[in-house]
Amino acid sequence: MNPFILSILLLSLGLGTTLTFASSHWLLAWMGLEISTLAIIPLMSQHHHPRAVEATTKYFITQAAAAALILFASTTNAWITGQWDINFDLHFFPASMLTMALALKMGLAPVHFWLPEVLQGLDLTTGLILSTWQKLAPFILMCQIMPVNSSLITFLGVTSTLVGGWGGLNQTQLRKILAYSSIAHLGWMILVMQFNQQLALLALIIYIPMTFSTFMIFKTNSSTTVNTLAASWAKTPALTAITPMILLSLGGLPPLSGFMPKWMILQELTKQDIPLTASIAALSALLSLYFYLRVSYAMTLTISPNNLNATTPWRLQTTASTLPLAISATISAMLLPLAPATLALLSL
Amino acid sequence: MHPTTLMYTSSLLLMFAVLLYPLLVTFTSLPLNNDWASSHAKTAVKSAFLISLAPLSLFLSTGMEAVTSSWTWMVTTTLDITLSFKFDHYSIIFIPIALYVTWSILEFATWYMHSDPLMNRFFKYLLTFLVAMLILVSANNLFQLFIGWEGVGIMSFLLIGWWHGRADANTAALQAVLYNRVGDIGLILGMAWLATNVNSWDIQQMFILSKNLDMTLPLLGLILAATGKSAQFGLHPWLPAAMEGPTPVSALLHSSTMVVAGIFLLIRMSPLMENNQTALTLCLCLGALTTMFTATCALTQNDIKKIVAFSTSSQLGLMMVTIGLNQPQLAFLHICTHAFFKAMLFLCSGSVIHSLNDEQDIRKMGGLHHLAPFTSSCLTVGSLALTGTPFLAGFFSKDAIIEALNTSHVNAWALTLTLIATSFTAIYSLRVIFFVTMGTPRFLPLSPINENNPAVINPLKRLAWGSIFGGLLVMLNINLFKTPVLTMPAELKLAALAVSILGLLTALELATLTSKQFKVTPLRTPHHFSTSLGFIPAIIHRQIPQLTLLLGQKIASQMVDQTWLEKTGPKAIANATTPLASATSNMQQGLIKTYLTLFLMTLVLVTLISAT
Repeated sequence: MNPFILSILLLSLGLGTTLTFASSHWLLAWMGLEISTLAIIPLMSQHHHPRAVEATTKYFITQAAAAALILFASTTNAWITGQWDINFDLHFFPASMLTMALALKMGLAPVHFWLPEVLQGLDLTTGLILSTWQKLAPFILMCQIMPVNSSLITFLGVTSTLVGGWGGLNQTQLRKILAYSSIAHLGWMILVMQFNQQLALLALIIYIPMTFSTFMIFKTNSSTTVNTLAASWAKTPALTAITPMILLSLGGLPPLSGFMPKWMILQELTKQDIPLTASIAALSALLSLYFYLRVSYAMTLTISPNNLNATTPWRLQTTASTLPLAISATISAMLLPLAPATLALLSL
Repeated sequence: MHPTTLMYTSSLLLMFAVLLYPLLVTFTSLPLNNDWASSHAKTAVKSAFLISLAPLSLFLSTGMEAVTSSWTWMVTTTLDITLSFKFDHYSIIFIPIALYVTWSILEFATWYMHSDPLMNRFFKYLLTFLVAMLILVSANNLFQLFIGWEGVGIMSFLLIGWWHGRADANTAALQAVLYNRVGDIGLILGMAWLATNVNSWDIQQMFILSKNLDMTLPLLGLILAATGKSAQFGLHPWLPAAMEGPTPVSALLHSSTMVVAGIFLLIRMSPLMENNQTALTLCLCLGALTTMFTATCALTQNDIKKIVAFSTSSQLGLMMVTIGLNQPQLAFLHICTHAFFKAMLFLCSGSVIHSLNDEQDIRKMGGLHHLAPFTSSCLTVGSLALTGTPFLAGFFSKDAIIEALNTSHVNAWALTLTLIATSFTAIYSLRVIFFVTMGTPRFLPLSPINENNPAVINPLKRLAWGSIFGGLLVMLNINLFKTPVLTMPAELKLAALAVSILGLLTALELATLTSKQFKVTPLRTPHHFSTSLGFIPAIIHRQIPQLTLLLGQKIASQMVDQTWLEKTGPKAIANATTPLASATSNMQQGLIKTYLTLFLMTLVLVTLISAT
């Protein structure tokens, strides 16, 4: 893509999210969301092949519907309460509409259906942006409207974790696996958001490096299915060894950093006296863990057969930059001992 | 210490020392000389018998009983166990009789087991058994009795399986152990109940302290113990199977001494039973059933040892009936007289078997009256004593029992069964004599018939004297505790005799049928019932292990392994999760309209619910 266009699009993307972060007026928040949606559309369809265009269209329609509903809800709230400030508590009627709209924007179950298909149609870099950057703005808005309609939030959270678990079990495409993983993680974040927004933020902050690392790993191996990932032992042996750590960190296994948010969230849920919800969430994490394990098994724990020529790429030096992946992989695997510091940073 | 007590205790100590010395000698590594069995073992028993006559004569003249307690074994807060011996009427009379019979059997065994390379070990086992039996008989507390009880059980196992290369012998030994074990449960139950409720295992203390307690449960336990050890109905199959052991073993253990241990236990504990109608009725009916059933089985057996074994079982049932009549002393008398003639019957069988080159089937014997006259005379005397011929040994005890049965207020059914069993006794006894001694020989011509060995003749002679005079001697010298009823209608008085004569005549008539075809198609069902021992071993020995093994398989394999560890655990999760996973991913049909509709519906639902 033309570098000027690319830079405009990327800067607009950044602008949109930042605008939403900084705003205290609902209209401005909505505007930020719309800017980021519009900016990412050309990025998604840059390759112009039908699957990408289909993904773009689906994304646009769902996001537009969600944004329209956000506008409608905030207008209704202004009509009822007489003010546009985000910091003031919402009336319950626009609050539930707003929650549903933000759920659609983020890709929470039961309105998650667009996410796997959209993510599948994109190349890995754009998918990365969709999975990480695009979650920030709606997340912040969600944090700011809490506490609202506790049963709805819990329902969204638990359903998301379960759907994320079950949906991912039947997949061989890596992007769809990551889509369901994103649904599950967002479910965890939503669950605790009504009690402790800092913990939700912690979950998001740990989630983003982990997803970044996985997307980068898949990009390095240029594989989009589990089967092609199985050839990575001959391409990047070191990366093949590290990937299980990242994947299991996504699964929330101690002593990796992915365990930190899950642990804190379970603790908070128990303190809030909803042990049943905590148990269901913990059990559904097992489902996700299974498919992460399956990917790491296919990639690392087995040496898939290949012809002789395919066993040589690791001998050649790569020209791609490996620094971002190195940093994010370290963060996503080794951060657990720094848990007290991390929690203190988030002023807990 | 009173001189009499001193005499009793010292003679018992001497007896034990004399009996244990040959055993201890075998623990040194010196090889035994060839006639160790004869010179050491048999002599030890003979000396022990002579020693035991001293307390016997003292008792007969003074009538004094004694209890000796020595070394304290265990002291717990609530229960003391000491080594204590009881020299009462029962043990002082039984010990000399047991030793006399054992002496004769050991002497016979020196001839019978002459060709066995491990004969010395055989005698060692017999001596160990004897020591255990004496411990059992002289015990004053249940713990010591239990030691003797288990000791005789183990020695019985070792001796029945003497020819352990024979599979039938091994299974018979196992049967003996298992059936005895079931009885042991009863004994341990009784002991535990007594320990916890009466707080003592001492016989005297138990009698005093249990006056006002309901003793049904421990008595049932003790009756179960007697059922196991004395082969009453239900736990009886081991006794005919025990005939796999050598004849001296059958003579000693399974006729005179070990099998009466159960009855002896009940006799010892009879003061506990005299007021408990349940226990007494149970003993009566169980004994009557046993005596009748085993006598029926004995009618059609063809193995000479099995007939004598069933005869033993039948007499044990009679002893149980006596206990059920609340006449323990008569039961004890029957034990004593029965020891003589039953041991003699077994020794005669042994002599016949060896003479006919190990032939045990009575259909292949015959005419031994001319060829082994002494043995067949002893066989006849023993059988006559068994059937209760007036004024032989068996008459005094058996007739007294049947008179007591006839004159007491008991179950008419028990009475009938016992009388029928008495007639059956005559029938099978005549059958044995007819087939073995009478008629023409049916065995091979070159049989090594030789009874001229003093090792055969002397034991038989001694036991014959005992079978003839034993009853009289014992009856003359003891005082009966309970006054017998002496006046009764003439029919009742003569009932036992009449029934036996009836049986004899029937048997004679049946015996003449062996060379004629009375019926073209004879009724075979009763015969099969009798020969197959009531089908009880055939059914139970398969069924119970099969059920147990099936249950074990069901529990271990199906319930634990398949069900809990597979189907409800891992597989259940897989079976539940797979449809859910495919449903969740199959919901993605790619239709954006559907997704948006779902969104709309969820929105409406949420708004409506939150509005309420």
